[in-house]
Amino acid sequence: MKLRSYKFLGVAIAASLVIAACGSDGGSGSINKATKGKPGGTVYILTQGEQITHLDPQRNYTGSDLAFAASTMHRTLTSYKYAAGGEGSEIEADLATDTGTASEDAKTWSFTLRDGSTFEDGTAITCADVAYGVSRTFAQEVITDGPTYAISYLDIPEGGYSGPVELNAATTAEEQALFDSAVACEDKTITFRLKVPVADFNVAVTLLSFSPVPKASDTGEGYDTAPVSSGPYKIESYTPGDSLVLVRNENWDKDSDPIRNAYPDSIVYKFALEGAVIDERMIADNGDDQTAVSSDGILPENLLTIFDDPKFESRRQDGYDPYVTYTAFNVKQVSCLEIRQAVWLALDREALRTAAGGPYTGDFADGFIKPALAEDYAPGKLVEGLNVDGTPNTEAAIAKMAEAKTACPDIYELATGEGLKFDHGDTPTWAKLVAIWIESLKAAGIVLNSNPIEPSAYYPTIMDPETQGSMSRSGWGPDWANASTVIPELFCDCGGFNLSQNSADPAYAEFEAGVQAARAETNRGKQGKMWQELNQYVLDQVWAIPGSFTKAQDIWGSKLGNTYRWGPYGSFNFGDLFVNS
Amino acid sequence: MTDVLSVDERGDDSLLVTSIESKSPKRLSWDRFKRDRFAIAGLGVVVFFLFIAIFAPLITKIIGISPNALDRDSLNDYGLPNGRFGGISGKHWLGVEPGTGRDILARLIYGARLSLFVGLVATLITTSVGMVLGLIAGYLRGRVDTFLSRLSDLVMTFPSLILTIALVRPGTQRLEAMGVPEGNPARLTYLMLVTLFFGWVGFFRIVRGQTLALREREFVEAARSSGAGPGHIIFRQIAPNLWGPIIALASMSLPAYVAYEAALSFLGVGIIAPTASWGIMLQDSVHFYRADPTYFFIPGATLFVLVMAFYLLSEGLRDALDPKNDRQQVA
Repeated sequence: MKLRSYKFLGVAIAASLVIAACGSDGGSGSINKATKGKPGGTVYILTQGEQITHLDPQRNYTGSDLAFAASTMHRTLTSYKYAAGGEGSEIEADLATDTGTASEDAKTWSFTLRDGSTFEDGTAITCADVAYGVSRTFAQEVITDGPTYAISYLDIPEGGYSGPVELNAATTAEEQALFDSAVACEDKTITFRLKVPVADFNVAVTLLSFSPVPKASDTGEGYDTAPVSSGPYKIESYTPGDSLVLVRNENWDKDSDPIRNAYPDSIVYKFALEGAVIDERMIADNGDDQTAVSSDGILPENLLTIFDDPKFESRRQDGYDPYVTYTAFNVKQVSCLEIRQAVWLALDREALRTAAGGPYTGDFADGFIKPALAEDYAPGKLVEGLNVDGTPNTEAAIAKMAEAKTACPDIYELATGEGLKFDHGDTPTWAKLVAIWIESLKAAGIVLNSNPIEPSAYYPTIMDPETQGSMSRSGWGPDWANASTVIPELFCDCGGFNLSQNSADPAYAEFEAGVQAARAETNRGKQGKMWQELNQYVLDQVWAIPGSFTKAQDIWGSKLGNTYRWGPYGSFNFGDLFVNS
Repeated sequence: MTDVLSVDERGDDSLLVTSIESKSPKRLSWDRFKRDRFAIAGLGVVVFFLFIAIFAPLITKIIGISPNALDRDSLNDYGLPNGRFGGISGKHWLGVEPGTGRDILARLIYGARLSLFVGLVATLITTSVGMVLGLIAGYLRGRVDTFLSRLSDLVMTFPSLILTIALVRPGTQRLEAMGVPEGNPARLTYLMLVTLFFGWVGFFRIVRGQTLALREREFVEAARSSGAGPGHIIFRQIAPNLWGPIIALASMSLPAYVAYEAALSFLGVGIIAPTASWGIMLQDSVHFYRADPTYFFIPGATLFVLVMAFYLLSEGLRDALDPKNDRQQVA
């Protein structure tokens, strides 16, 4: 689940990460390009968040957090290029000497490690460290919230391995042997054996869940606040709710790391600031804030101030990010297609978009795959009668409700009586957006009850089938440029973030079969077609209502360079920023 | 107070005559109150707010506005109100809320309803509990008094605001589990319970102190020697003498509770949106001090006016009801 951080805009509370944007995504018009900077100074990062959601590399799964940790502390076998626009989605060798070698059937991948790379204590990074890092993902009791591609892809029988003995005392030697044969080390070469062909596995390993961890330093839960660095910076101090201070890692050798420039002497992450205060400080641009960035974007109410005034021209950017927002139905509760269609028809999407900032919000989504995923995107066919301009079609919704009354009287009773429960983050912006939801559905006779959830508890609450409401607001971005990181993750029980609880739906079996077929397809063009069809399948079943292909806006201090948007993560490339005095 | 004297000096015979006529203490207080122009103004504003709160549905219907209706046409493409001054127009007298286009006047009117309801209920329950316990402790003294006084010390040492905020979610969930309807009913019940827990102490202390003094007075002795029981003495002899301070204190705590509800909603632990509440409006409006200053100004100003009016009123009441003034008059 590459979740979009809740704090971002306060609008879309969730979303996943990354993305891949080939080409157009990642910045419109004047792309702020990567340039050569100069060393020195301190870069500040301001956020409303209480802490980095997860610093443990195997648990980190939020776009901007991945960009931050990957560019400063955690090296991976391959890495995205440090560049703006489409180029930023290309990969290059990082810990490995090249971008990996695949077997003919794309089921075996091998990488050879570079000489000279070390952890922060000076010990060399070995193949065993990489393998150990990968094995941690399997200890799902401890390593929560992270991506689970290692589990989906590696050739280990389901349930055959539950993490290294350091994290799971019950693991036996035989179980460990299963892992060791799937991830084999021979001198400096690490070989991954997969159960399905994955033509872009060398892109998957850019995820920090494939980064090395020294076995001796693994403290399980404690590793989340004190991970060992393999990059140019290491933690000097970390106090959740206050700050994270990174200083130079003296044992990092530039010769072993062709990617990272590591310009600033230190990077300071400041937590728990008020959103309005952050914007105010960025607008004022005083003192240390001249070398600061906001990692939360810009609050909707301040967008016009910043974008209407030419004096901010060199300190702002507006462009598509990797995310798609959507509202998932809890299909187990709302097990009535007509009601789901009626909700969609009655919803005033135009008002929602306006309230969140109008043109700055993004475009109405016609599915769950963004056009940036060119091979997998096709314009979606939306429910019949839906107004293209986003205004509600209340008449069509009322007609659907009339059908529902005979088709599924129980659900009709619930939707018009006690009401459906709408999960959203307990934020000021949502206090208003939910009013638009409630009012526009009321016009079609549908009763909606607001269920505000404390932001930090939002995902755990809606991901628990017991506590999820009837509908949940979320957002997602692909993990790399393949809809295999979108459709299965969001709507299949074989993925990691299925909020739709659709497995009991009569239409589900056919869908899952399609997902498995698409996953196994090695011809990328054919695979893309299959994702397009599955995207349409979800739209037809209305397991979720697509929201926006979102845009994001940034502002930064006047003395910072390299403030380009790093396409794959939809955020700054924090480690590549430099101070320009 | 030198009212009688000043009347003498002015030589206003008619007034002098009436003041010589025997007047009940209530009448005297009312006369004093009437002469305090600030208090009368405060009373006027409070009555006005009570009126619009009670008749909120009727008033909004007559004006043709609704607290929840969206008005997309009053907003530009970026969600900010069209026109100057936050979209103030013949249709929306105080403008519209950015983002949704909901009418600010209608939301203020419904917000007043909620604020005054919360203020009145909170005052009523804290006053009654504080008064009853204060009378009992003050009259019975001994162990009961010691127990209740120590309990009030204990409650006062709790950091009330922090506890209220920290317990809002678990507390509300517990109430919902006990069958209180989900959402705002549970939130309000929780807030009332917490308010009662922390709020009775002030009334308790004042009433206890007064009771301790009154129970030694001659008229109480007289009642006791004529064979009256504790119930009669407490409620028929002592209690009527306490109305002055109680009314003054209650009229001060009411605006405090109105502001308290707004503060909690502002902090996100009070009323749940989309129900109209002044606190939620305040919280939202502060974000717009740059983009829509009118909206920023209106909810805050309204809360200020109401709270100010209540304080002026309570100030006037306190002066009018002060027993010391009574004694001066008598002398």
